[in-house]
Amino acid sequence: MRTGRAIWLVQRLALLMVAVLVGVTGAATLFSPHANAEGENYVIATDTTFAPFEFQDAQGKFVGIDMDLIRDIGKDQGFTVDIKPLGFDAALQAVQANQVDGVIAGMSITDKRKQVFDFSDPYFESGVQMAVLATNNDVKSYEDLKGKRVAVKNGTEGATFADSIKDKYGFTTVSFTDSSSMYDEVKTGNSVAVFDDYPVLAYGITQGNGLKTVTPKEKGSSYGFAVNKGKNAELLTKFNAGLKHLRETGRYQEMIDGYLGQGASGDDNSFFGLVKSTFPILMQGLKMTVILTVISIAIALVLGVFFGLLRVSRSIVLRAIGTTFVDIFRGTPLLVQAFFIYFGIPAALGFQMSAFTAGIITLSLNAGAYMTEIVRGGIQSVDKGQMEASRSLGVGYLPTMRKVILPQAIRTMIPSYINQFVITLKDTSILSVIGIAELTQTGRIIIARNFQSFYMWLIIGIIYFIVIMALTKLSDRLEKRINK
Amino acid sequence: MSQLVPEAAAAEPEGTVKIRIDGLKKSFGELVVLDGIDTTVSQGEVVCVIGPSGSGKSTFLRCLNKLEDITGGKVVVDDFDLTDKKVDLDTVRQHIGMVFQHFNLFPHMTVIENVTMAPLLTKKMDKAAAEKKAIELLTQVGLAEKAHVMPSTLSGGQKQRVAIARALAMNPSIMLFDEATSALDPEMVGDVLEVLRELATGGMTMVVVTHEMGFAREVASRVLFMDGGHIVEDGPPAEIFDNPKHPRLQEFLSKVL
Repeated sequence: MRTGRAIWLVQRLALLMVAVLVGVTGAATLFSPHANAEGENYVIATDTTFAPFEFQDAQGKFVGIDMDLIRDIGKDQGFTVDIKPLGFDAALQAVQANQVDGVIAGMSITDKRKQVFDFSDPYFESGVQMAVLATNNDVKSYEDLKGKRVAVKNGTEGATFADSIKDKYGFTTVSFTDSSSMYDEVKTGNSVAVFDDYPVLAYGITQGNGLKTVTPKEKGSSYGFAVNKGKNAELLTKFNAGLKHLRETGRYQEMIDGYLGQGASGDDNSFFGLVKSTFPILMQGLKMTVILTVISIAIALVLGVFFGLLRVSRSIVLRAIGTTFVDIFRGTPLLVQAFFIYFGIPAALGFQMSAFTAGIITLSLNAGAYMTEIVRGGIQSVDKGQMEASRSLGVGYLPTMRKVILPQAIRTMIPSYINQFVITLKDTSILSVIGIAELTQTGRIIIARNFQSFYMWLIIGIIYFIVIMALTKLSDRLEKRINK
Repeated sequence: MSQLVPEAAAAEPEGTVKIRIDGLKKSFGELVVLDGIDTTVSQGEVVCVIGPSGSGKSTFLRCLNKLEDITGGKVVVDDFDLTDKKVDLDTVRQHIGMVFQHFNLFPHMTVIENVTMAPLLTKKMDKAAAEKKAIELLTQVGLAEKAHVMPSTLSGGQKQRVAIARALAMNPSIMLFDEATSALDPEMVGDVLEVLRELATGGMTMVVVTHEMGFAREVASRVLFMDGGHIVEDGPPAEIFDNPKHPRLQEFLSKVL
């Protein structure tokens, strides 16, 4: 990709020089698509998951309306694309920083965004729509919502729309952070309807989320492809030309129907079908979970021995340092620690840290606090006659700790240590909030695509259960061997 | 059979003061356990400390190598003032062996590792030399064949003899015994006392807290009777056991003899 971009830059530079030489009129002809018959390569940024516009399929490939559209337009207009799934905000920043050529991410065309981006012709008309349970025959219009509860997603157009009409029709709203939770709310019967973006809703229905639409969609925003303001004009031209051509040939409608039409999904959404199709991705998530756990618990052991020794020290200052460490990390929720370390500290000190690094630091410190108490307990469980016997021989405090006390303390610590390993393994799921693709986050991404929350969470629960049961059995066996 | 006693311990002339105790006080919070102890222990002396439970015997012994912090007064061992903060306690302790009521062997190490650990850590002795010395000591306490077993497989008497060998491996010039036979089954006591007797005849300076009156009478060069944190009577065994003067000592002896 890098070399492709370099060649493209050289070509553009050459073209620019020619343009200067032959004058403005000559340049206009040179910038036409025919000049790039060789086949350009563009780097396009997108969101990580926004089904049905962009999401990973079971093989981990990025698919969706946006993805199909940009690739087909490329084919039509003779260019290739590299997709960079950066996340929505990061994608916008990358375009502005000229790190990528364009962004396609189900982005609404707004006046504010027009100030910093150049938009293509709208390629999709979105809008808010209401959906109810497929078996519900009572709610057929907004009037039927009187006295009922309705689910919405925080900060979306659907939420804004529902709030604007709730007094008129006499219903109340309840907010969720993602679509699948919102659909589950309706499935469990706690709410009777949802308001969500029409494409998201239509796609969810094709994936068997168990809902149906009964009212027409409200007029809403249009989605556009964008490039940095004043840059890449020829890419925009090609996009518009390609879009027009795809619409004329019917390929565009085919593509939309593929994601949103009736019976679009050919996926096997049974329990075993899902196990089969999601297993490779889930195993990658599990691998990340195990990597996070193993690295963190190893660092936690070092921290635990260090602060554990401080905790049993005869010096009041050293004891206070150990106690403070334990109190801070046992006395605050892991979730808050993760946010503080990932968002708080880098923001305050002006540097950047990867989510993985932040996750390791958070888990290590948190588990380190519990390990400190395990080590302290282990040391204190050793008969104090052991320390006295060694010291009476003229052996110093630290050599005594190392040779006499810790080897005995570790025996009693092993079951607690494995127990902490299990707890830390479960705690890795909390790191999904900072976007680390461990097992839980992998599940969330899959559910954002297929809406099979019941089976998916069941599968993920079973995976955790198997791994943890294996560890627990190992711990039991070790404990029996030690106590023999 | 005096090979048990390190050369250094026997080399010094008889009568040199090894431990000087001046007005030693020890309290645990409000509780006064030692209330002004004055005495000396000379080279080659075997001092047995007797007295009722709670009289402060063990605490007194534990102050001599500063396993207990000293509340007041002075303890001077071989010119080292233990109450002086600048004194390196580890160095002092390398000259004072201690044997505990409950043996305190290191359960995760074999017998020979128990004996060689301190010499290997504190003296720059190579492993082969340390093990040779350990085998000699174990042979003398009659346990050479147990060198490579774990302590948990030994009887109480055997454990205590290993503990004595472990203390002697540091070549101490003073040995402290804290009720070394109290936790043993009666039939094991003899073997351990035999080792103590051997050390005493070999000229080792010893302070022995004990309930074995027969041993004290036979082996001690001096007997201290302690009660209520004081030394109530101090004299040769014949005086103490045959001619007790203080009523508390008379009462104590009438109960234990």
